[in-house]
Amino acid sequence: MLILTRKLGQAIRIGNEIKITITDIKGKQIRVGIEAPEKMAVHREEVYEVIQKQNILAAESGMTHDDNLSNLWTQLTKKEKET
Amino acid sequence: MQISTTRFGNITIDECRVIQMKGGGILGFEHLKRYVLLTQNENTPFLWLQSIDDGSIAFVVINPFIVTPEYDLMISDNDTRFLEIESPDDGVLLSIVTIRSNPFKVTANLRAPLVINQKNRFGKQVILNESDYPVQYSLAVDSVPTERSLRERKEKHSDIKNLSTALT
Repeated sequence: MLILTRKLGQAIRIGNEIKITITDIKGKQIRVGIEAPEKMAVHREEVYEVIQKQNILAAESGMTHDDNLSNLWTQLTKKEKET
Repeated sequence: MQISTTRFGNITIDECRVIQMKGGGILGFEHLKRYVLLTQNENTPFLWLQSIDDGSIAFVVINPFIVTPEYDLMISDNDTRFLEIESPDDGVLLSIVTIRSNPFKVTANLRAPLVINQKNRFGKQVILNESDYPVQYSLAVDSVPTERSLRERKEKHSDIKNLSTALT
């Protein structure tokens, strides 16, 4: 891993399309400004991981046969009617 | 185009039905770019988003407005520009569903919906950073389901039929 020290207002360039600027430092929190092409997805790591895990779980769960999906919907809506 | 899938066998799809995932696509599945939306059963609001590049990958998806009619979200200008969405009517939303053996534990991801431009069929999974919507939103209706919520769901269901006709 490359480790660099930066001061407030200084920036890092990654390739010629990405620029990361340190915009604020408060105690243990640092705000960074990211300039990147729209095609590049920029996410907070912990959020990215949660979504990624859920997608993988969903893809595995999707093995269900379609009949089960219509049963599922019947069950979900039936529950409402009964209440 | 003919594709071979695990769930639906060999299927023939029209090129114009291909949905192109742009940018990071579906997180965790960045390498899969092309999908097709399949309606297998008209009586459920669930649809299948089948990968064209990997026949074994398919997601169950649902219109998030069926899940919760009050769904409220803001798509960033960056994303609308990226997907070339010119009017709100162009954008179609789908939530990825996680199926569980207990039907009442089935959830939809309202935090990171798929946004698809139905005109050019570009799509992207968008993370709603400013919202509190959960990644696992239960599809079983909130604790006290009402006649109204049922009616709303049914109405939304007929909407999505039109909408899925547009995309499938």
